[in-house]
Amino acid sequence: MAEIKVEDLHKEFGVGEDRVVALEKVNMEVRGHVFVSIVGPSGCGKSTLLNILSGIETPSSGTVTITQDNRDAEPGYVFQAARLLPWRTVMDNLLFVQKDRSDATKDRCQKYLEMVQLGDKGDKYPGELSGGMQQRVGIARAFSIEPDVLFMDEPFSHLDAITARSLRRELHEMWRQTRKTVLFVTHDVGEAVELSNRILVFAKGGKLEDDLQIDLPFPRDPADEDVAVAKAQVLRKFEELDLVAS
Amino acid sequence: MATTLEEKAPGVRSAEEERLIALRRRDTRRKWFWRIAGYVVVLGVWEFLSGRMLNENLLPGPTRIVETFPQLIESGRFFSSFGATLTRIGVGFGLAFLFGVILGILTQSRWIDGFFKDATTISLVSPGLIWALVGLVIWGFEPQGWIFAIFMTTFALVTVNIAEGIRALPKDLMDMSRAFGVSTARRQREIVIPFLAPFIFTALRFGFSIGWKVTVLTEVFSSNKGIGFEMRVASQLFRMDEFFTWVLSFFVFALFLEKVVLQRYENKFFRWREEVVS
Amino acid sequence: MSTVVTTAPSSRGGLRHVVGSPLTARVLFPFVVIGVWYLIYYTIDSRIFPTPQEVVVFMWEEVTLTSGVRYGSVVSNLYGMFLISIARLTVGFFIALGVGTVVGLAMGLSKSVDAFFHDWVMAILAMPALVWALFLGLAFGFGHEAPVLTVILAGIPFVIINVREGVRNTPKELFDMARAFDVPQNKITRHVLLPSLMPFFFAAIRYAYAIGWKGLVIAEVFGSDRGMGWTIKFWYDAHRAKGVIGYALFFIIFALALEKLVFDRLADRAFKWRPKMSAVELAEGDFGAVAAEGFLVVEDQAGIDATVSKGGNL
Repeated sequence: MAEIKVEDLHKEFGVGEDRVVALEKVNMEVRGHVFVSIVGPSGCGKSTLLNILSGIETPSSGTVTITQDNRDAEPGYVFQAARLLPWRTVMDNLLFVQKDRSDATKDRCQKYLEMVQLGDKGDKYPGELSGGMQQRVGIARAFSIEPDVLFMDEPFSHLDAITARSLRRELHEMWRQTRKTVLFVTHDVGEAVELSNRILVFAKGGKLEDDLQIDLPFPRDPADEDVAVAKAQVLRKFEELDLVAS
Repeated sequence: MATTLEEKAPGVRSAEEERLIALRRRDTRRKWFWRIAGYVVVLGVWEFLSGRMLNENLLPGPTRIVETFPQLIESGRFFSSFGATLTRIGVGFGLAFLFGVILGILTQSRWIDGFFKDATTISLVSPGLIWALVGLVIWGFEPQGWIFAIFMTTFALVTVNIAEGIRALPKDLMDMSRAFGVSTARRQREIVIPFLAPFIFTALRFGFSIGWKVTVLTEVFSSNKGIGFEMRVASQLFRMDEFFTWVLSFFVFALFLEKVVLQRYENKFFRWREEVVS
Repeated sequence: MSTVVTTAPSSRGGLRHVVGSPLTARVLFPFVVIGVWYLIYYTIDSRIFPTPQEVVVFMWEEVTLTSGVRYGSVVSNLYGMFLISIARLTVGFFIALGVGTVVGLAMGLSKSVDAFFHDWVMAILAMPALVWALFLGLAFGFGHEAPVLTVILAGIPFVIINVREGVRNTPKELFDMARAFDVPQNKITRHVLLPSLMPFFFAAIRYAYAIGWKGLVIAEVFGSDRGMGWTIKFWYDAHRAKGVIGYALFFIIFALALEKLVFDRLADRAFKWRPKMSAVELAEGDFGAVAAEGFLVVEDQAGIDATVSKGGNL
């Protein structure tokens, strides 16, 4: 089982008058086959948190432990912008992050491309694909290394509503089938409510304000009444914490 | 926008802040050190070799060159030569710029674009020397000669940059202002001109820099004044200290133009870009 | 339900369509040029101004070696001169590319090295080829050294600047992505670093050649006794306008051939991953590319500079 543990994580930038606290003494724990959303307004440190978890940034203080059954966990990432190598084909992009290029690996990559309905696009260059397709390649890439833990940084925020919606459904299916631990950053409360078991609420200044459980059955239809009610409740929580107005 | 954990007394800095400021200062100091080192090394080696390994008459040392400089100014030749060259480039490039801007604007029409396409291409790839020789062999010392040379070398640069700017005009801003009923004149003033400013500036800068070189070339062949003429005379008479002094003054002038004139105005032209970027 | 949409009648009748097309304009241009040429011919007060036919005949004779003109004892015709020029250009080009890449890499990677060389690179960049040509011609006599050195000095700052910008502009997000996925360093170098440097390196090559050859011509005019540049000067000294114009046209043809046949093809192959442009954009882009790419690197503190526009054709 995968486990993400964050203890007293603190991150600040700058000096003197320019000093900015990105994350303020964050403590959290995520375990098992869960879909956890991190929600908050811009400037609340969600991307910084993900960067630290992925090793791109180092914390000012505090510790981060990501394990799978007592070994270091294998992480996968989906970024806001697909971050594909534009000069390599789709398949090569997936192979780029694999440990080897054996036939078994290639087959595995092909399988995940098919899961995102891009099985026939392996030979195309990213420049030939739409934004939605590129993002799906990014998702396939993250899943194809069969990671223990999946980090996603607002993966659908650059897409139009219709594409985003179908991608959400695809992602959710993949999550349920592969039983991963997912940490999903978003600013869209509705998206968080639709996808997750648990929502971590961050406020501006990098403070973890609240930890909410969403106990509705999957799959969730955004048009469903229960889902709408849950969304309203979460939004009210935001208002209570005075996070909506500013 | 700062969020602080504790209140700090003004003027008192934490250890970490001090460290960061010190780091930044160290970086700047280091850069200046190496920059000056570069000058020391190059000028030092040059001075050392001149008269020893290098024939002093062929390549005089930096001190010799700098000494000759005031002589040139005193005799009045400096300013009169620059004046002559600047006049040429003013006329030649002025015409090219005018034509280039008009053509750049007209290129919106596909037909005109097609018509002048090859001319622009050829102007962009041909060496200025070609135009200089052609112009000069036909017209000799007459102005048509050097005007032709400067014009042919530079007009395309202007055209291409202006055309690029016009193509990039933000249509959405134009539509928006039309929707709000803004008059055409105001639209030109508030949207088109500021937007085109950087492109015009770039056209000026490159056109001038290329035109300048061609102008000097024409003077080498067919003039009795100007920087090119002086350079040719100096090199033919093997007066290398004068030759290099002219080269140096060419630089001083280019530097002056660049730092004092262009960079001052550059900020005005490019200001809106800065804001977008930051 | 009745159809609401109707197709518009075809907008232009046959002949109007042809006359109004940009292609016609393009074809029309040379005829206009010839027309203007004749106009000048009949109005100018000059004994040496040639008609277009005279120039064409001259060029033809040069090409078919029937002109009876000999330029020198050893190498005496158009082809010989051309080969000499090309040889000099190629040698200078490779040296400029080699040395320039090394320096550019060093300057991109280290701020100290950058500070050390920066002003001198700018100084070399600002120097007109004329100065190199005059000085080197005096220093080395009228042999091969002056032209080759001029090619090197003219082109090297462009190589240095473009390579330096390439190093500075590596796509951080792609590196972060690779590191997040724990991709080993050699893979990162091969698949991320080197491809991201390609457009800059390509610009460096293109400029080393294009600027180099312009410098070559000037050097051959002032500081050599053979080569294409010398030849055009030969006709200039002889006051034969048709010779000068003829050779000017040879130069232009050479430059165009270089661009179209060499650089465009190379660009296509190296950058086949770029999103495909429509045919219209491709046609317009012909020499937009030279200017867009040309003057590629913004020097914030330059004496005279080259400029990066629109991300340098990335």
